[in-house]
Amino acid sequence: MNRQDFLACLDIQVQTLDFWLEQEWLVPGRVAAEMNFSDIDVARGRLIQDLKTGFGVNDEGVDVILHLLDQLHGFRRAFEDLYEDLKGTRR
Amino acid sequence: MRNPYEVLGVASTAPAADIRRAYRKLAKKLHPDLNPGDKAAEEKFKQVAVAYDLLSDEEKRKRFDAGEIDASGTERPPQHPFYRDYATSDHSRPYTESYGYADFADGNDDLAELLRRSARARANRRGQDLHYRLPIEFVESITGADKRVTLPDGSTLDVKVPPGLVDGQVLRLRGKGAPGVGEGAPGDALVEVEVLPDRRFTRVGDDITLDLPISLSEAVLGGEIRVPTATGAVTMTVPKGSNTGTTLRLKGKGAPRRSGGAGDQLVRLKVVLPKPPDPELEQFVANWEAGKAWNPREDIAP
Repeated sequence: MNRQDFLACLDIQVQTLDFWLEQEWLVPGRVAAEMNFSDIDVARGRLIQDLKTGFGVNDEGVDVILHLLDQLHGFRRAFEDLYEDLKGTRR
Repeated sequence: MRNPYEVLGVASTAPAADIRRAYRKLAKKLHPDLNPGDKAAEEKFKQVAVAYDLLSDEEKRKRFDAGEIDASGTERPPQHPFYRDYATSDHSRPYTESYGYADFADGNDDLAELLRRSARARANRRGQDLHYRLPIEFVESITGADKRVTLPDGSTLDVKVPPGLVDGQVLRLRGKGAPGVGEGAPGDALVEVEVLPDRRFTRVGDDITLDLPISLSEAVLGGEIRVPTATGAVTMTVPKGSNTGTTLRLKGKGAPRRSGGAGDQLVRLKVVLPKPPDPELEQFVANWEAGKAWNPREDIAP
């Protein structure tokens, strides 16, 4: 989806999105020169909203949480890949 | 549905600030994205979210306390996937970081070697297979055809449909799937062919059936008629005295077999009287004694 659809989907202001992009909390893909937001960006946006409005986490907190979560998921992914490889060699 | 006060663990007299505090404490512990490996967290989180949705709204809380609405509140929070549902998918590339375990992979032990090997394999991964559907005409399924599939991104894929293909058959186009990662080979395109129904022909195994109307004269006197087949019209001889239901076989005019040769076309005749009714024919039948004497229902009717 494009920028406009993304704003409508999450019901956020343009300034909020610009701030998220500036902080690199969101890194949408691109089609030609246009930003192209996918389902994962929407889900990540909802997580940021939950952290900020739901849990009262401030911007610095969001930064730290996303960084740790990205590492956790990187680790989970590596672990999943490794697990798949091991299953494959055992067969 | 449990009592929302119990779900949040607060007294029914608790002030709004306490309810918010209780919600945040639970939500932080239960939010699915903060518990990526805990499948049960999502259900619990939703219960807490529904309870908070009800009790954080003064109006709804009043109506619940008065027994006007039940614990499910007036609506459920929107159901949407969480970030964790995508976080280890292929779309997560810009976000996932490997610093969290980089030191393990640098080591000298078995685990480090496994991690390195796994990472190398992923770096040169074969592309995904992509699935498409291709509707074709019945005749094309018998004769074969060159078709073009337009992909969602606007590009096209040329598909050679071999003769004799059946509905639901899948064609594999090597290397026409998603590109590989690094030096990985591209995936394949898997094209499922849908054979559209035809108003004339029906396929039964390797044979093709066709219902063909013939006139009364052709039925009684026989003659040569033109018959459509999947590969073009041919001339067929209708024997003298043919009837509705008489089935004639056109050898080799069915679907091609993979082992060579082809099935047959079965032509089922259907005698059709002229429309509008012909007065001369009526006159003839009225005076036709033999026709009146013969009973075609002898075998089935008393």
